[in-house]
Amino acid sequence: MPDAIRITDLRKSFKLGFIPRRKEILKGITFTVAEGEIFGYLGPNGAGKTTTIKAVLGLIFPDAGSVEIFGRSHLSPQAREELGFLPENPYFYDYLTADEFLAFYADLFGLARNVRDSRIASLLKLVGLTPAARLQLRKFSRGMLQRVGLAQALINDPRVVILDEPLGGMDPLGRKEIRDIIVRFKEEGKTVLFTSHILQDIELICDRVAMIVDGRIVSQGKLLDLVSERVLFTEVTLAGVQPEAFAGLGEFLSAQGGRVLIRVFSEADVERLLRLADEHGGRVVSLIPRTETLEDIFVEKVKRT
Amino acid sequence: MKVGAIALNTFKEAKRDRILYLLFFFAAGAIIFSRILAVLTVGDRLKIVKDVGLAAISIFGILMAILMGTGLVYKEIDKKTIYTLLAKPIHRAQFLFGKFLGLALTLFIMTGCMSLIFLGIVFAHSLRFEGRLLIAVLFIFLELLLITAVATLFSSFSTPILSSIFTLSFALIGHLSWGLETLIKKLPSPAARTAARVLYAILPDLENFNFKTEVVYGLPIPPAIYLHATLYGLLYTAFILGLAILVFRRRDFI
Amino acid sequence: MQPLTTGRRGAAPVLLVVFLLAAAAGIMALKVATDHIPRAKVPGSSIIYLPSGKYLKYATFGYSSLAADLIYLWSIQYYSNYEIADRFAYLERIFSIISELDPRYTDPYEVGALIAVAEAQDPELALKILDMGLAKNPEQWVFPFEAGHIAQMTLKDFERAQQYYEKCLTIPGAPAFVSRLRANAMYKRGDLQTAWETWLEIYDSAADEEVRKVASNHLYQVKAAIDIGDLTDAVKAFEARFRRLPTTLDDLTRTGIRGALPKDLDGQDYVYDPATGAVKAPTIPWKR
Repeated sequence: MPDAIRITDLRKSFKLGFIPRRKEILKGITFTVAEGEIFGYLGPNGAGKTTTIKAVLGLIFPDAGSVEIFGRSHLSPQAREELGFLPENPYFYDYLTADEFLAFYADLFGLARNVRDSRIASLLKLVGLTPAARLQLRKFSRGMLQRVGLAQALINDPRVVILDEPLGGMDPLGRKEIRDIIVRFKEEGKTVLFTSHILQDIELICDRVAMIVDGRIVSQGKLLDLVSERVLFTEVTLAGVQPEAFAGLGEFLSAQGGRVLIRVFSEADVERLLRLADEHGGRVVSLIPRTETLEDIFVEKVKRT
Repeated sequence: MKVGAIALNTFKEAKRDRILYLLFFFAAGAIIFSRILAVLTVGDRLKIVKDVGLAAISIFGILMAILMGTGLVYKEIDKKTIYTLLAKPIHRAQFLFGKFLGLALTLFIMTGCMSLIFLGIVFAHSLRFEGRLLIAVLFIFLELLLITAVATLFSSFSTPILSSIFTLSFALIGHLSWGLETLIKKLPSPAARTAARVLYAILPDLENFNFKTEVVYGLPIPPAIYLHATLYGLLYTAFILGLAILVFRRRDFI
Repeated sequence: MQPLTTGRRGAAPVLLVVFLLAAAAGIMALKVATDHIPRAKVPGSSIIYLPSGKYLKYATFGYSSLAADLIYLWSIQYYSNYEIADRFAYLERIFSIISELDPRYTDPYEVGALIAVAEAQDPELALKILDMGLAKNPEQWVFPFEAGHIAQMTLKDFERAQQYYEKCLTIPGAPAFVSRLRANAMYKRGDLQTAWETWLEIYDSAADEEVRKVASNHLYQVKAAIDIGDLTDAVKAFEARFRRLPTTLDDLTRTGIRGALPKDLDGQDYVYDPATGAVKAPTIPWKR
């Protein structure tokens, strides 16, 4: 089964400035996205995420390297039929209604009238915009625009959906809604590639990730593999004890309102602390082990380059 | 049809542009005003009406073509609506051609409306329906098509202001071709003359579409010129659109 | 399918370039062909329509000077085109338009007059144009100068020529030789007395030898004309009395018809031909 997206040694530089100076943006990007998975593409701003995406979509022509969609050249019409795309900060023809907007894109795929209408209806339902079908896009909120953008990306029922910062600028409720929609895509058998720099979202829904820093892939693979289960430290909150009693067992973080927060770095120290608390008549309010998160890896990789 | 979908969408967007209606208003005003102007002249009043009317349709049509055409592609790029469009399985050529057709449709309707008002005023003046005036208008429209193509070409890589200047220059050069012809005769060296002759053949001759004089004075038009002028206009338009496609097809949208 | 390498460009752009070249060739061919189709032209058609004068100035929105230049330029090309048969029909109109738009632009008056005289064979129109020029530009001596020239050479109306030269002389900056032209016109007109006085004045006030010589020649010519006229009258009187021509001029003094015989300016006698009775000056003035 061919990979949904296979990117091999992609390179791109731009000539910028009045006296054109060459700036290398992509310095040899290689990664693959398997069919049916949610793939997160992350990196700091300016690393080249959007440039990679645009190269995949044929908006930019790379200097070297190749992109294949299900084994076919990414510029071939068959490949394009399989793709759906939502750009970052999308702007749409704001005088059209949601219905008209989706109908326009449907016409670009040459969908038959009845197919088009039923698909528009089901897509609006999928993204939760059915009541706004007749509303002009200029009256949509940011979240609604994002959702109608998702609907547009799916108008051709593509096998691969590419989203550039789909969760940007949304409130937590909106972000949850979009995450749920993306998961729904996966349940329908679609492949999703999306970029983000909000790591929690990536952690919550992605199967695999690739990290790009300064035009190079610095890390890629299954999320679970990248993020080890190793416990970095444990944060314990105690009540009814004096902080001095626990010096030496860990890093003292705060003492407020009768509660003491201590960061403990080894398992053995945790056990000792718990026994000590019990002896002094204290109470354990909470005990939170902190495993390595994507953010930790991310910050470390960025610091390294 | 994909081109048709884009054309229709462009048309919908164009007809919302206020500039269109502003220019139309001025053109209609000029045509109607010509009736009053005719009173100032001594002699054949109808000729003033015809001349002003045709001039108004021509000038305001060109302004419409330039002002709207130069924003055509630029707006899509600037507002990034072009990203979702070009990510679809559609050739960039289809996109450009669709934009062009949409604007052509808009201009066709505008020219049609201006002509109706024009013919109405002429009728009010002379109680006659002068079909021949439509010939002049038809060729004005052909000229507008060519100018729209040029505006589309510049719009695909340049800002609206620069595009407008370039397109306007194209229109002006097109009407001053006779000046180059006169110059050729006066150039001293044969090499310069040949170079000038080549330039003369390449540069657009928009006077080929100008039948205002013949129509207003009731002079005969040699039938051969209909075919020639039409072919010239269509071929030049195709050439310009071809250039636009060539420029546009490998453009990076950063 | 093999992956797309960015080096390969595909057949489409080659086709496109071929199409563009073919289209360019087609356009050029069509242009040449279309140029050969004759189209009816109305002489000066672009101009006929212009409302005259005052309104035109308003219509040009402050660019009347530029408009004048452009119309003038156009008119030069237009009048150089000998194929247009009745191109002079609107000559006056066109040049009065230019005058209205930019009355201080002197070239069109001169050239318009030139076209009128040399091409349209209408010297009166030329004078009209030059009069217009002078009216709008009273400090330009060249207009009455040329008008005098046309009046003298083409119309042979020496009185008008003289008036033009006199006008010219009233304008500061008029060259000195205009006074000589004026004197000559007087002479041609037949006003010999004034011509003599004028030439004498020029002789006396001559700045250099050249001018003095010229004045002297003209004085000779005028005196000769006066004297010859006088002598011819005397010959006629002799003939009337004696029914024959005198044999020599001395006959005139002997018979008392004249007192002393006038001599030419150099003191020479006039030459008489007894066969015809004609009196001539002994020298050609310019050969003195």
